[in-house]
Amino acid sequence: MSCSLPPEILDLIVDHLHDDRITLKACCLVSGLWVPRTRKHLFAHIEFHTSKSHIELWKKTFPDPQDSPAYHTRSLAICGTPVVTAADEGVGGWIRTFHNVVHLQLSRLDRASLVPFHGLSPTVRSLRLSQTTPDVFGLICSFPLLENLALNALEGDADGWNTPSTPPKLTGSLDLRMSGRAHSVTRRLLELPGGLRFSRVNAVFFDEDAESVKDLVSGCSDTLEFLSIVYCPQSAFPSVPVTVPYLTAVRRHTHTWGASA
Amino acid sequence: MHPLDLSKATKLKSLRSGSSVQWITTTLQTIKSKSLQRILIRPFGTPPEAIEEEVHQQWQDLDRLLVQFWTSHSIRPQIMQGAGKEWNGLRDRLPGLLPELTRRGLVDLFEPGISPPTV
Repeated sequence: MSCSLPPEILDLIVDHLHDDRITLKACCLVSGLWVPRTRKHLFAHIEFHTSKSHIELWKKTFPDPQDSPAYHTRSLAICGTPVVTAADEGVGGWIRTFHNVVHLQLSRLDRASLVPFHGLSPTVRSLRLSQTTPDVFGLICSFPLLENLALNALEGDADGWNTPSTPPKLTGSLDLRMSGRAHSVTRRLLELPGGLRFSRVNAVFFDEDAESVKDLVSGCSDTLEFLSIVYCPQSAFPSVPVTVPYLTAVRRHTHTWGASA
Repeated sequence: MHPLDLSKATKLKSLRSGSSVQWITTTLQTIKSKSLQRILIRPFGTPPEAIEEEVHQQWQDLDRLLVQFWTSHSIRPQIMQGAGKEWNGLRDRLPGLLPELTRRGLVDLFEPGISPPTV
C-alpha cells in the first residue's frame, strides 16, 4: 500500500499523527519507507537526564552518528554532569549530531561540559540555562539566530569573555531568575554590541539584584512590549530573613502566577 | 526600594508586577507608554488584614493610580490574590482598599490557581 501512495501524501498522513507517539511507533513497523517521516516526529524532542544510562542507551541504539535520528531533533534538553562531556569525547562527538536543534535546554553543567554545545546548531533560537556556570556568554554568542534566552540560578561569577563583533539577535524573550548573582550576568548582557532588543522580559529578583534588573529593563526600553516582574523585597517579608523559609514564602506567592505574559 | 523606570519603554503593552503595593505603585507611576493594554498586579508582603495606616495609604494611592489608567487607557486592572491563608477574604476587603476602583466595578480579582486570560 505504501508503494502506491505518493511520498507527499504519506508525509501528510504521518504529519497529522505528530503528537500521537503510539501510532507513530506503529507506523515505523509498517514499512521502511515510513520510517524517515515518523522519525522526524518521534525524535523531535529529546531529553537526557543525569543518569548515564540514558546516554549509553542512545549510543548503543544509534552507534553510527551518520545514521542517528538526532538529525530530526528540534528540542534538546540535557540535565547533566561532566559525564556528558566525557561521553561526547568517547564517541567522537555524539552531541554534535544534534545539529538541527532549535530549542536547547541545559541544566547543571559546568564550564567544561558546555564546550561541546558551542555553535551546536546554527538554527538555535531558544536557549535555557539552569544552574550552570555563569560563563555562558561565549555559548550564547555562538548561536547567531538566538532570539529567546532564559537564565535560571546561574552559580558563581562570570569571568573572562570577549565581546563578539556579531551578537545574536536576542529579539524575543528574556527570562531571568536570579538570587543574588544577577550583576555579572546583566552586565555581560548589557555589553552586547547594538544593545538589547528583547520584546519580552520576565524577571524574578531580590533586593541584591534590584539595581541590575533595573539596568536590564532600562536597556530593553526601546523594544520592550511585555514585562513581567516579580520583585521580592526583604521589607515585604519583614519577619523572615532571606533564607529557605523566605524563599519558600516567595515561591508560594509566585508559583501560581499563571501563563507567561 | 527604588522602582523600575518604565518611562522610556514607549512600546510597552503589558505589565505584570508582583511586589509590595508601594513598589508596584511607584513603578506604575513611571509608565508613559500609550500602547499599554494590560495591567496585572499581585501585591504581596503585609496582608491587608493587618495593615497599618501607612500601608492603607499605599493602597489608596494605588487605587487613585489605577483609576487614572482606566480613565486614560481604558485598562481594567487585573489583581491576583496572594496564595497564603492570610490573603483569604481579600475580595471582601477590596471596597476598603481600592474604594474608587471597586465603586466603579473595575476590579478583576483572580484567586490563587486561577490564571487570568492572556492578552
